[in-house]
Order: sequence, then structure tokens, then C-alpha cells
Amino acid sequence: MGAFLLRRAGQSLVTLVLATIVVFFGIRALPGDPALALAGEERDPTALAEVRAQYGLDQPILVQYWRWVTEVAHGNLGESLRTGISVSETILSRVPVTLELALLSLLVAIVFGVGAGVVAAVRRGSWTEWLANLAALLGLSVPSFWLGIMLILVFAIILGWLPASGYVSPLTDPVGNLQRMVLPSLVLGAQFAAILMRQTRSAMLQSLGADYVRTARAKGLSERQVVFGHALRNSLITVLTLLGLRLGLLISGAIITEQVFVIPGFGRLLVEAVFTRDYPIIQGVALVSAAAYIFANLAVDLLYSVANPRIRLQGAAT
Amino acid sequence: MKRWGRWALLACSVLLLAACGPVGDGGDSGTAAGGGAVRDGGTLTVALADDPDMLDPTQARTLVGRMVFMSLCEKLYDIDRELNIVPQLAASRPTLSPDGRTAEIKLREGIKFNDDTPLDAAAVKMSLDRHRTLEGSQRKSELLAVSGVDVVDPTTVRIRLSQPFAPLAAVLADRSGMVMSPKQLDKLGADFGDDPVCVGPFRFVERVAQDRIVLEKSQSYYDKDKVHLDRLVYKPIVDENIRLANLRSGDIQVADQIQPTDVPGVQRDSSLQLVVAGSLGYQGITFNVGNTKGLPPAPAGKAPGALAGDKRVRQAFELSLDRDTLNKVVFNGLYEPTCSPIPLNNPYATEALSECPGHDVAGAKKLLADAGVKTPVQVELTTDNSPQAARIGQTIQSMAKEAGFDVKLRPTEFATALDDTDAGKYQAFQVGWSGRVDPDGNISNFHLSEGSQNISRASDKQVDDLILEARTTTDVARRKQLYADVIKAVQERASVIYLWRQKTYIGAAKNVGGLNVYADSLIRVTTAGFTS
Repeated sequence: MGAFLLRRAGQSLVTLVLATIVVFFGIRALPGDPALALAGEERDPTALAEVRAQYGLDQPILVQYWRWVTEVAHGNLGESLRTGISVSETILSRVPVTLELALLSLLVAIVFGVGAGVVAAVRRGSWTEWLANLAALLGLSVPSFWLGIMLILVFAIILGWLPASGYVSPLTDPVGNLQRMVLPSLVLGAQFAAILMRQTRSAMLQSLGADYVRTARAKGLSERQVVFGHALRNSLITVLTLLGLRLGLLISGAIITEQVFVIPGFGRLLVEAVFTRDYPIIQGVALVSAAAYIFANLAVDLLYSVANPRIRLQGAAT
Repeated sequence: MKRWGRWALLACSVLLLAACGPVGDGGDSGTAAGGGAVRDGGTLTVALADDPDMLDPTQARTLVGRMVFMSLCEKLYDIDRELNIVPQLAASRPTLSPDGRTAEIKLREGIKFNDDTPLDAAAVKMSLDRHRTLEGSQRKSELLAVSGVDVVDPTTVRIRLSQPFAPLAAVLADRSGMVMSPKQLDKLGADFGDDPVCVGPFRFVERVAQDRIVLEKSQSYYDKDKVHLDRLVYKPIVDENIRLANLRSGDIQVADQIQPTDVPGVQRDSSLQLVVAGSLGYQGITFNVGNTKGLPPAPAGKAPGALAGDKRVRQAFELSLDRDTLNKVVFNGLYEPTCSPIPLNNPYATEALSECPGHDVAGAKKLLADAGVKTPVQVELTTDNSPQAARIGQTIQSMAKEAGFDVKLRPTEFATALDDTDAGKYQAFQVGWSGRVDPDGNISNFHLSEGSQNISRASDKQVDDLILEARTTTDVARRKQLYADVIKAVQERASVIYLWRQKTYIGAAKNVGGLNVYADSLIRVTTAGFTS
């Protein structure tokens, strides 16, 4: 087990180093000088040269890479070129915001998607199934930017029930936080809810036609017990697999939602940093994301090997 | 009776239109009246069109940053509604020596920074020296003419100049004239922007990058009785639709940069008011005339193509464009057509500035024929990649086609476009400038042969001489004449054609009063507040 752990950790480290190379050189392959992007219309050549020197942007690219990697190894992700604020501090303040948004969207997707899927399967051929299918079609086809603006128009401007934008921490104002997260969660969760609805519906239809459900009914169980205790339980395996696969996509999908609802999350940080060529921020965000994925994969591999010893043995044999 | 009814209806309609219309002085500044007396207290949230950069007057570069500084850091001089330079932290205009090489500035007494330390001549010297010498300072070129700063006495500074420099007071009416607290500078050094302390109606509380900048009323401010708000929050909301939606929902109370297409909607909304002001800048098209190796100090060359080679082709391009139609089609007629780098309201502007070459397709064709170029003349026009820039590009494309130009549009992300055009990899670029109070700020960097932003690399000794003389002449009448000559000369060479001047449209909640916007497009909230 120790050797397996060491091998996998080593592989992860190599992947992380490769990720730093891709991130660092990838962003520099984009056209646009960061000093110039920062300067905007005020492009004094002397000041530009000094800014380049200050941030080491005038150094050969390999020297820049080595400096960055050395600083990262010491836990220093640098400072934003635009604001001068520490990159680690900025990222740490953004991660919980996007995670909260992703989790609430997941909740929205499960409640609406699974609920509608079950109803559509149980009431097959009725108007409720038609309605659920229509909702799913809309969820899949309506662009989230447009949906966001429409929800703001209805719930914030016309009805005035909810704030149009912004974010407050749940620790300082739990109610205010929920009020501000309702609309973004609905927007981000809508598409996933539609996918979940379709998957749940087809899995439920399959389950409801299976032999064990017929047996359950023959045993005299109530329809509620048959649907929720047997058919849905079995269908949830498909749904759970989908949930795992989509969580990462929800986080990346948060970029547009964060823009529309002016939420200071991870996605918005990245987008605005790309526009201003704020290299330290882009590098920091990409590195942290890569590290999170690599770490999650490592954790899953380790869990698999604990659950199924053949995996680590196979690995050792090769 | 019927007649009276009609008059009453007409009067009501006029009143209604007035109520719906923009709030302004009819000139270049606007005020949010708020419909009553401004009360003390409350938090005003102002949405900016972008996230400001460093809150350090020495290192700051952005227009939105200047918006925040308006509430945070006062300057030696400011502008008034009529664009006159007026003392702010200084007690009077600079007193120039007979040779124009030294300027003495008397400071106001009893002024305190927001950390309660006193403002004196030593503090002014410290800030000016920092602006001139700090590595990465964006103020160096603005203060290039300053060779030294001396403390004469606690309330007087002397600025030594390497040559007479007419725009000095105007330069000190922007970030170069902001005075920072020496105590905070000693404490934070180059990181002053993390917790800036200046003289201002509001003091810095916190900043969450891309989310908010929070300020609160300063108790040290010399005019604190005029400050009504308790708190001020600046919130960057980049997308104009979302900015407007937030204004309508009441989440923000002031929205920067309302687009012309949204102006009628704001005017119709009874819960909102529109504050209108002019602008100091311009928008136009810059042609690559001699930029083959980049900006100065790289040598200028000769760019390829008929546009670069013959000014008649560029003049023909200008004649093919109808500025009024462009303004109506793209901006609902809400901006101002122009053909000059400085606005008509500038104290140095002359009547001649309003005489633009008209839309003249026949004249354009004749110029092309005289130049002996083969039509259609191929033109690649670089624009930024926004929907508005696309509309501008398409309108220009269709107008120029009539005269014999085949315009290909190259929408490019702004950072990349700047990179390309600085390096000379372009033919024509639709770009503008936010503008400065003194004409020199709108002209010299763009038209001097060695100008830092002369991306055209057009070079002409006569133009250089005129610009340099205007810069060093302190006699107003003479300067005015010199700028008239400069503008005539740059119009003639047509390396830049000026097309329109933006107007500043600011949206505000109906109950916001005491908010001012001048032609520098900055939102001034010192006296702003909520009406009862």
C-alpha cells in the first residue's frame, strides 16, 4: 500500500509540474503585452518599461518560469499586476463563493431535475409529463446569460422580491446570502436540472417496467413504496454517476452566472484576469484548479485501491 | 375653453418632457438634483464600468480609478464646471517667475490628511518627488518638465522647471497633483495603494478586488459639513445591461456609462434620473503613416499602401464619412460629431474648430483620382471586438464604399489591438482618448514626431514646432492661436481623423441629489446624498 501511495503521489507531482508548464507558457502564447493591457490608453513607454522590469516581464521566458515556480514552491503565488493584491489571498476569498454557488445549484438541479423526472415517469402520457419535458427542453436550450437577465427583470426589478446582484458571506448575513444566491443557483442549476430530469425519467421508466417492481406490486406494496422505495432507489445509481461527472462542469459553468449576478467568484476572477492579461492571477487560478483536480483524482484512486485491492496489485505488477 | 385646454395640454407635455429629459446645465456638466434637500446619512453604491487598478495616485492608470480618487484623494488643483483650473489644496494659482522656469504654490492652511496629520509643503514635496522617481510611476512623463521641488516654508512649495511649461496647473489638477500622507507613505512605501490615505471627503475602509471598494465619511476633512453620506461603495459591474438592471432594481444608486441605446429607457423610468455631461476626449481613426518598427525611440519609416503614402487618400477617406449619420445610426444622435482633438468648450478652442469638412463623396472621388490610386482602395480597419465597435465599423465600411474604399474590418480584443498598433501591425485603427483639460494632453503625445502615443508615426517639423511652442507659451491669446494652427495642420495631414466626441451619461436613482459630473466624465459625490 505504501509503495502504491508513493507511486501515485509521484505521478501526481509530475502531472502538477506539467500543468505549471502548460499554464505558464499557454498564457504567454496569447497575444497582448500585460504591461500594455494594464496601461490601457495611458501608454507611457518609460513607465511601461519600468512596469515590465518591476514584474520581471522583460526577462527571458525560462527565467520568468523558474522564478515563478520557485516562488510557488515557497507558497507564494505573487501579486496581481493590476491591483497589487496578493494572489493567494484573492483566490482563497473566491473559492468558497464559487463552491457555495455550485453546491446550491446542485441542490436546485437535484430537487427540480429528479422530482420532475420521477413525476414524468410515473405519470407517463399525461399533461404533467408534457410539462416536465417542456421545462427540460427550455432548461437545455435557454442561454444562461439570457435566463439570468430575465430572472433579474422579473424578481428584482418588477416584483422587487430579491436583490439583482452581489454577494454577502453566509457567516455575516445568512438571510442576505440566501436571497442573493437564489437566482444565480436557479440559473446555474437549470441546465443540469434538465439533464437530470431526462436521465431520471428514462432510468425510472426502465425500473418501473422491471421484474422486481412487478414483484413488489404483487406483494401488495403501495404505489408510493414501489416508486420511492424500489424504482427511484435503483434509478439513483445513474443519477449519482452523473452528479459526480457534472460537478466540475458546474464550477466552470459558474463563470457566466458570476458575471451576470456580479458574484466575486473564481470564474469571474479568471475571466477578468484574462482580459487584463494579469498573468499572476491567471497562473494562480489555473494552478490551484489543476492541483484540486489532481488531488481529487489521487484521492479517488486511493479510495478505489482500498475498496478493491486488485487495483494496487495490478499497478505493482506493471 | 377648448383653446385653454389645448394650452394646458401643451404646457403639461412640455413639463412632462422636461421631467423625463436629462438633467444637465445645458452645457458640459450635469447635476443630480434629487428633487429636494439632501439629508445626512446613508450609503451610496456607485457602479463603475470596470475594476479600478491600484489605488495609488503614483501608479494608477485607469479612468475608473480616477473616479474613486475623486472621493479619496484631493489635488493641488481641480477643474470647475466651465473647465477652469481652480485651487483645491493650493490656496491660489501657481505664481510663475518672469522666465517661466519656477512656479511657487501657496498651500491652504489647516488642512489635515485622513489620518489627522497636517498637510504641509514637505508633504507636497514628498508626493511630487515620489511621482517623479518611484519605479513604475505613471506620472513621470506628466512631470517630465519638473526638475526639482523645494520647500520654501511650511505653506509654500517651489517647483523648478527645465523649461516653461504651460500645462503645469492642469497636470496638478489630476493624479500628479494628489498629495499622499507622509506617515502612510513611510509605513507602506510602494504598497500605499493597499490602504491609501490622502486629504479627501471620504477615507478608505476596504477593498475586495473585482467586488467593491468601501469608503466612509472622513472626520478629518476640512469641509466635512458639506459631506452628507456615511458610506460610499464603488462596485465594478462591467456589463452595461447588468449595470442598468442593478440600477433599476435599486441595488445600486448610481451607474456609470449608460450607453446611448439605453438613454431613452432611463429617461422614461420615473424612478431614475439621467445626468449628462460633455467629454474632454474624442474618438476617431488613426492611420499608419510611418509605423514600421514600433513607437519612438524606434525610427519612423514608410508604411505600405496608398493610405500611408498619400495624404489625399486619407483626406478622401475623411470626406467619405458622414459624421452626423454615424452619430445617428450608432449612437442615436446622442454624441457630438467633431473634427478636432479638443472640445469646443475648452478655453483654448476657437470658432474654427466647429468647421468640419463635410460629407462629400464627389470630393473624395476627385481626391482619389488626383492621387492616381487604383480603386477600390483596400483598407483594413482594426476595431475592438465589442458589439458597438462592430456597428461603428460596419457604418464606416458602407459609407467609405461609396467613395471607392473597400474596408475590411478586423475586430480585435483591445489588449491585442494595442499590442499590434503600437508595433505598427495595422493600417487604420478606430480608437479614442478620454481627454485632458489642457489641450497639450490631447495633442502632443499623439502628434509630436517623438510622441509616446504617436502610433501613426506621422512626422512633420512644422507641427512639432507649433506643439512645442504652444506647450511653453503662457500667454493665453498666443496659445489659443497656436492651437488653432496646430489643429489646422493635423487636419491637413490627416494621420488622425476625428469623428465624434462622447457625452457622459450617468444614471442615478431619483432620490439622489448633490451629485455632479463635469466634462472630465468623473462622478463627483462629495456633496451627494439622499433627498428626503
